[in-house]
This record gives sequence, structure tokens and C-alpha cells, in this order.
Amino acid sequence: MQDERPIISERVPSATSFLHKSMQKLGEPRVLGWLAVAFVLITWEAVVAGARLNPIYLPRPSQILIALTTMFRTGGLLSDLLATLARIFGGFAIALVAGTLLGIWMATSERVSAVADNFIAALYPLPKVTLIPLLIIWLGTGGPFMLAISALGAFFPIVINTVLGIRQCDPGLILAARDLGATNRQVVRMVLLPSAIPSIFAGVRLGLGVSIILVVAAEMVVGKVGLGARLYLAGQVLETEQVFAVLIVLAILGVAVTKAQDFIDVWLNQWRVS
Amino acid sequence: MTRTGVAIACDDVSLTYSAKSGAPVEALQRVSFRISPRQVTAVIGPSGCGKSTLLQIVRGLLAPSSGRIRFVDAQTGVVASTPRMATVWQGFNLFPWRTVADNVAFGLEVAGIARQERIERTRRCLSQVDMAGFEVKHPRQLSGGMRQRVGLARALVMEPDVLLLDEPFGALDAQTRLVLQEQLARLVEKSGTTAVLVTHSIEEAILLADTILVMTARPGRIAAEINVALPRPRSLSTTHLSAYSSLFDQIYRLLRDEVVKAMAIEAESA
Repeated sequence: MQDERPIISERVPSATSFLHKSMQKLGEPRVLGWLAVAFVLITWEAVVAGARLNPIYLPRPSQILIALTTMFRTGGLLSDLLATLARIFGGFAIALVAGTLLGIWMATSERVSAVADNFIAALYPLPKVTLIPLLIIWLGTGGPFMLAISALGAFFPIVINTVLGIRQCDPGLILAARDLGATNRQVVRMVLLPSAIPSIFAGVRLGLGVSIILVVAAEMVVGKVGLGARLYLAGQVLETEQVFAVLIVLAILGVAVTKAQDFIDVWLNQWRVS
Repeated sequence: MTRTGVAIACDDVSLTYSAKSGAPVEALQRVSFRISPRQVTAVIGPSGCGKSTLLQIVRGLLAPSSGRIRFVDAQTGVVASTPRMATVWQGFNLFPWRTVADNVAFGLEVAGIARQERIERTRRCLSQVDMAGFEVKHPRQLSGGMRQRVGLARALVMEPDVLLLDEPFGALDAQTRLVLQEQLARLVEKSGTTAVLVTHSIEEAILLADTILVMTARPGRIAAEINVALPRPRSLSTTHLSAYSSLFDQIYRLLRDEVVKAMAIEAESA
């Protein structure tokens, strides 16, 4: 019987430490963050239900969730999402290629830089939404317009960061490449461009954010399909839970893009000199 | 290797550039020297005397204001317009996004050499500098001494007729320096390349060079050409020889006044 004692005395603290541990877990920042979200949703649900608020002003989270799933299942929200994604990334891809090429050209030629500088200085600070009317006059409201507005948003940050990145390249690396026989083109492709990649990616980060804003804004103004169009229409007919549902999709899109960029950032660390 | 080597002739090379203020700065003044094939020549001088600039002029990365550099094939006696050259840099200048093997293979890639041969030659050179097994590492994962051995392999893989060394061990600690100096001496001898070594270390110059060119403070001129007749292979024990001490003193006396002058120039421009 004597040898059972230590076992008992071990069990007692382990029971309290389990409670203690789960309390500690609740205090962990990550867990706490999700708990706060849950708390807000539950309070929201309870308050709206209790106060019998008109769902036109504030629908309950459960109603929004139902609206969201119905829109996806039968309401064609998926095709709206895909249309918006195609516009964002299509325009963004154009901006990435054109912006990087112009950036390289500007960074390697003082003349090109002098010619392009004034135009960029004038266009970069201009809020790009203000170009929507002009672009509609020129391109109509279809695909070309959507791609153009998306490309315009991402273009300038990418150009500017490409130029910066290339100009910051360690001159020692250029000397080393020339010493090893690299031609001007090889220096650009094998030294300047790779060394500028972290900076170009910083431009991509900024630019993609602007593209998303512009495409959704343009869809709200003239779109027939797309998340922005869906959002605007739902608002017009006071389908408030649909408005919230589209906002949720847009928020998730934003989070996904940010996470993907963080992931690429980690991978890009190999570029940074110790 | 049965190479006969390349000789270097430098005739009246001067370089004047304009400083940020617009005032002309005379960096090099009528520098002339001859370097025999397969010899190691050290260029030593006070900081700012233009010795690294001279190296870049020899390499053709910088054009002199006047004067010229010629390379002569020792076997044929013909002026070689484009000898194979490669440089080892004080700051290593390795490409941080490339692995060790890809850094070494850079020059071969640029020259369009087939992948299989690139891999083969890269591996051989890395094992020559005792860096086999580090192929897939990135430069940031290596110590300074290891980085410079990669830098050395990157130059040697080009099988250069002329190897240029720009204070290659300046950024390394004293012990690493000694080991790498001995390794470099062996590799240069084996490869039959003509080598020009820029350094500010008298010890390094004596241990590695057949000839030492002592330069003056700015504007850089050749103050003296000194033959190093010490037996090879040289090592730390060479520094205990009396011939070493007298050579060291001779060079130090030549340099001392120039260093004082260089400090005065620096103080003036500061």
C-alpha cells in the first residue's frame, strides 16, 4: 500500500495542472485572438436577435452565413469570384511584365530614365480611381477596361521598386560578373535582375493591393459580373446579408493574398546577404 | 599544365578622374613595369595610392587616361589581345542568391560551356580549395575564409592566364590568412598562371611574390621594384630567416614615408 502513495500524489497535481494548462492556453495570443472573434459573433447574434433589429440594417451572422452558402451554391457567386480574380491577376500580370521591363530599362539607361521620370512623377501620385471615367470613354466597360484599370494600379509601384532595386545592386557584384566575362545583357539577366528581386517583390505587394481595390471599385461602377458588381447590386436592393457575404469573400481574398505573399517573402530570404 | 604563360607590360599608365567637387584627381602617374610569365608580382603601397585602380586597369574594367597595357604570349612572343583573366576580390563579391557551385560556375555559364563540363570543372576546382561537399550551400552560410576559397575557385575555374588578386585576404583574420596564403601559393604555382597581387601587408607580399612593386602615395607611381629571392615553398618559418627580416625592413622604410604622406593627403581632404 505504501508504494501507491506516490502515484496518488502524482495524480492530484496532474489534474490541477491540466486545468492550469488549459487556462494558460486561453491566454495564448493566438487562441485569444480567435476567442475574441467568436465572442463578437456570438454577442452580435444575441443582440440582434434580442433587440429584434430589422435585418435590412444588421442581419445576424447566421443569416449572413446562410446567404453566403446559397449564393455560392445557386447564386453564381463562384463565377463572380472567378471573374474578379481573372481581372485582378490578368491586369497584374501585364503590369508585372511591363513594369519590370521598363524598370530595367530606366535603371540601365539615364536617357530612358530622364524621359520616363516626369510621366511617372505625374501619374504615380494620381489616385487611379479617377482614371475610371476616361478609361471607360476609351475602352468601354468590358474586359479590356478591367484589365487596363488593374494593370494601371500595379504598374507604378512595380516600376519604381524595380528601378530602386537595380540601382541598389552592389557594384562589386557587377564588377565580378564583368570580370568573369559577362556581357551587358548577361549582367542584366544574371546579376541586376536577381539582385533586385526582393525590391521588385516589395513593389508587387503594393501593386497587387492597389489592383484589388481598383478592380472591385470599377466593378461597382460599371460591372455586370464580379464581386464588386454583386456587392453594389445587393446594396441597391437592400439585401444586406448578401452585402455582408460579399464582404466576407473579399476579406478572405485579401487574407489569402497576404498569406501567399508572406510565404514568398520567406522563400526570398535567400536573396538577402547575411 | 604545360602552359608557358603570359607576360604583362605596363607602359606609362596614368589615370586622372574628377572628384565630386569637379577638381581633377591624379590617381596614377606614369606607371610602368614588366611582369614575367608565371611569376607572382605583389603591388604594395599606402591606402589610396591607386593600387586597386591599377589592377582594374590591367583587367580592362577601367580605361587609363593615357598609357597602355600589353599582354605577350611567352611561347609565341605575340601580343595576346585577350588573355584569359580572372579576379579575386577583397569583398569576395559572391552572388548571394547562387549556391557555392553556381557561383563557381558563373564564368563558365556566361561563356556558354555545356552543363556537364561546368559541373565537372566546378567540382574539381572546389576540391582544389578544400571546399568539396559545400556545393549546395549559399555564401551566407559560410565563414569569411570559406567564402574567399569559393572566390578563388570561381577565378581558377576560368583557367586564367592572368590571375588578379585584389587584397584577397584583407577581410580575414590573421590565422585564416596564413593558411589561405599557403594554399594560394601552391595553387598559383601549380596552375602556371601569371599573378598580380595587390596587398597592404608586407608579410603577405614577401611570402607570396617573386617581385614586389612598391608604390608611392597619391599620385601613385612605382617607387621601387624588389626581387624576392627567398626559397619556396615559403611558410610562417620563412619569416624567421634573416633574409626575410632585411627584406621586410627595406620595404618598410620605403613605405613609411609614403604612408605618412598618404595620411597628410587624407587629413587635407577630410
